[in-house]
Amino acid sequence: MAAAEIEYVSYGGEHHLPLVMSLVDDELSEPYSIFTYRYFVYLWPHLTFLAFHKGKCVGTVVCKMGDHRGTFRGYIAMLVVIKSYRGRGIATELVTRSIRVMMESGCEEVTLEAEVTNKGALALYGRLGFIRAKRLYRYYLNGVDAFRLKLLFPRPDPALLSANKDGRHKQHAENSAESSPIYI
Amino acid sequence: MATNYEGGGGGGGGGSGGAAPPKSIPSGDDAVWADAAPLIEAACNDLQEGELVHGENFSLFAAMSALEIMDPKMDPGIESSGYCSVDEAIENGIAPVPLSFDRTVDVKHTLDVMDHLLACEATWHNGHSLAQTVFSCIYILRIERTSPHPLLHSYCRVMRATCNAVVSAVSDARTHEEEDLFTMSYGLPLKDGGDDKCLSILNSVEETVSRQLQFESLQTNPDLEEGYCRAVLCRLRFRKHFYHALTCMRKPQGRGLELARKHIAACLSELDNMFKSLDFLRSHSFYQESAVTSTTASGCRPIGFDVSLNSRLLSPTPPRAVKVLSWIDAVSYFEKLLHYLDTICSFSLDPALESVLHFIVKFQLSQPPLVARAHLQLLLVHDGKLYGRDSFSDVIARSLALPDVTKDKEFQTNEFVLQLGQLLINLIKILCANTAWQRRKLGKILQDWSVISIQLELALKREFGELLNSSVDESVCMKVSKHLLMWAQEQTYWIALRFLTLGFELQLYSPSEYCMVYWYMYVIFMKQVETMQIRIVAGTRRKGKKKRDHHARDSGRDAMASSYCLLLQCYMCLSEGLAMMLAALRNESNAFQMPNIFNSEQERFIQHFELLQKAQVPEHISYHIFKESTAHACISDVVKHNYFREAQRIAASLKGSFSADPERLAELRLIEQVAEHNRIALNVINQVGAGDPTLRVPLEFTHHNHFVVAVVKRS
Repeated sequence: MAAAEIEYVSYGGEHHLPLVMSLVDDELSEPYSIFTYRYFVYLWPHLTFLAFHKGKCVGTVVCKMGDHRGTFRGYIAMLVVIKSYRGRGIATELVTRSIRVMMESGCEEVTLEAEVTNKGALALYGRLGFIRAKRLYRYYLNGVDAFRLKLLFPRPDPALLSANKDGRHKQHAENSAESSPIYI
Repeated sequence: MATNYEGGGGGGGGGSGGAAPPKSIPSGDDAVWADAAPLIEAACNDLQEGELVHGENFSLFAAMSALEIMDPKMDPGIESSGYCSVDEAIENGIAPVPLSFDRTVDVKHTLDVMDHLLACEATWHNGHSLAQTVFSCIYILRIERTSPHPLLHSYCRVMRATCNAVVSAVSDARTHEEEDLFTMSYGLPLKDGGDDKCLSILNSVEETVSRQLQFESLQTNPDLEEGYCRAVLCRLRFRKHFYHALTCMRKPQGRGLELARKHIAACLSELDNMFKSLDFLRSHSFYQESAVTSTTASGCRPIGFDVSLNSRLLSPTPPRAVKVLSWIDAVSYFEKLLHYLDTICSFSLDPALESVLHFIVKFQLSQPPLVARAHLQLLLVHDGKLYGRDSFSDVIARSLALPDVTKDKEFQTNEFVLQLGQLLINLIKILCANTAWQRRKLGKILQDWSVISIQLELALKREFGELLNSSVDESVCMKVSKHLLMWAQEQTYWIALRFLTLGFELQLYSPSEYCMVYWYMYVIFMKQVETMQIRIVAGTRRKGKKKRDHHARDSGRDAMASSYCLLLQCYMCLSEGLAMMLAALRNESNAFQMPNIFNSEQERFIQHFELLQKAQVPEHISYHIFKESTAHACISDVVKHNYFREAQRIAASLKGSFSADPERLAELRLIEQVAEHNRIALNVINQVGAGDPTLRVPLEFTHHNHFVVAVVKRS
């Protein structure tokens, strides 16, 4: 099965919701009500992606972004790929698409939690540049610890900004993803 | 808030049949039961798929807290035994008193209750709530009912008193993160004034059983009776000694530690006897569960327990799965816990700060359980003093190793000394916490330590101005202030290093990040050594007469400080060697390339060292300096510098100084091994060539938990 056979689609509406829900309910241990799903996909549909193989939904990623204590931050809430389709880079592709949207929308960083025993997820996110920022003792209902993973996007070089006469040196990070202005 | 979603997951219950309401929830005077199912169904039909009832204070975010009733993943009440209350369970004969009218069977059942309670207790210690473990026992929930049964009654009361003592201890020490579950006892009958008197009842029961063992027989078959008597006795005795051990340990200033050790030894002996009773009890019971999973020694399921009875006392979040530990695992847990408690009780209460910190760090290495850590903290810091005995001003004075300072009243009441004392108290408490939480806190307090150092420096400059840099004899006051500043800086570096090395223990670094971490450690070790050397040298400059008087003791202290300083240099060489070796591998080998998709090494550096950078520990360190130092690293240069050989040399020279300290000697041996393995690996890589595509260099923590060893493999 070639990588090209996988079709990646952005969340398109109510018809996608049951697909996302059943994948997550089956594979992940934490319980979510339907309202949890609606919270994410209604407010940030452009951050949820689905992977299809021959019409069958085989993977999904669900995210959000927003202001968190003064930082504009993306958060990866759920990532699932059906067991038989793992190891082919589908999860990486789903996550990468979401992160790109976050970056383009002005996020300064992206964060998520993962079980310390989830080697697959840790390797995947490590390859994308996430670090293990914290360890959270007994974070999950089953008593397992978690890592808080964080990806920090590059910031514009402050040396470039201080030369500006308008006094616009304190450019807010929200603008970092826009095309960088040229200073005299 | 209804949804008409058809795919399942929605609440299934409540058909439109108007089922009779449960009798045990009575109607009130102004209340009457009515079937709401038709109304809810009508409301459902009114909403289209994807629609949501929306209110001013009810957003999608708020909706996430909704629970789906009767979904076992979310609804704690669904896993129900069927009894709505303790009284109903009792009425249905779940917890009879006596447990049987046949005396042998009664003893058998009592033993099972005791064993299951022990398993519950261990389960509670390991991260569950009292409500779902120890207090799932109806005999404990309604202790007064057991009064006619002295054996069960006394056991339950001492059990409850023990739980109360442990909850108090852990509460006083304060818990962190998910450990909060431990002290939750809302709605549970945990405290009862009369429980301490229960020991006298337990003693008399013990006496009775003991006599029975020797003279009377419970029934016609004496063999049976002896085995049961022994089984009962060791369990009673364990309970008693455990309670006494905990009580002794709480005595201030370590006054009860010696006696506690005796009780702990007795506990361990009785646990051994309990374990020995396993064979006898299993051979005298039927319908057994496997010994590996059973929560009792006999293998039988105990009577008198119901986990779901307390479900209303739990928080409304989704229920945690509680699997009670097996009895064998519970016994192992208590053995382990008792050994940790014994270690605490064996501590010499050394007044030297360095010894205290070293002891805590060593204690934490094997990840001791919460109950042990709490008791350690309560021993170390009590009443704002070390061991409830030494003021922290005294502790600092001793740590400064300046002879005149210890009894100086001005020093004791100096505002900086007092503040530093508070910081030390906070530091010790943090060091006793679980390592995940500890590391985050250590990162945060760096700021506090950094700030006080800056304030000290400013105060010094203000008071003594230009005198500071002159070679004129310093006043005592100026000298002490200078030393205090350097001492504060050294402690700050110590904290920073603990923060960084804990990252290895918590597995927070991926191998591609080791280089920057070792580099940062090298830089801090270097500053720490520098500061310490200045302080030691400055401390040895003493005036005439006093030098003669205190010579032996002071030179002893100096020698120890110098040895410790050399040890730090040893670590510094190891860190530098590892940083440069890993940098060279990254520069010269394809195998060590790093992710570069969304960010670069710079962002990861910024993140890992954010708190250190913010506190400027040390000053003038940045990613650019790291890059400059490592961008041109190559294997042949690293070989030439001989960092590992230098570390070995220093370690060898220190063996004499630490000959009386087996721990330090062991540490030196580990350092030598790490240095040797890395030196060899480096040479092999140098010979083969770092760019060789068949070369693989996995990094392993085989010898030391902070310093990695490079292993060379060819594929």
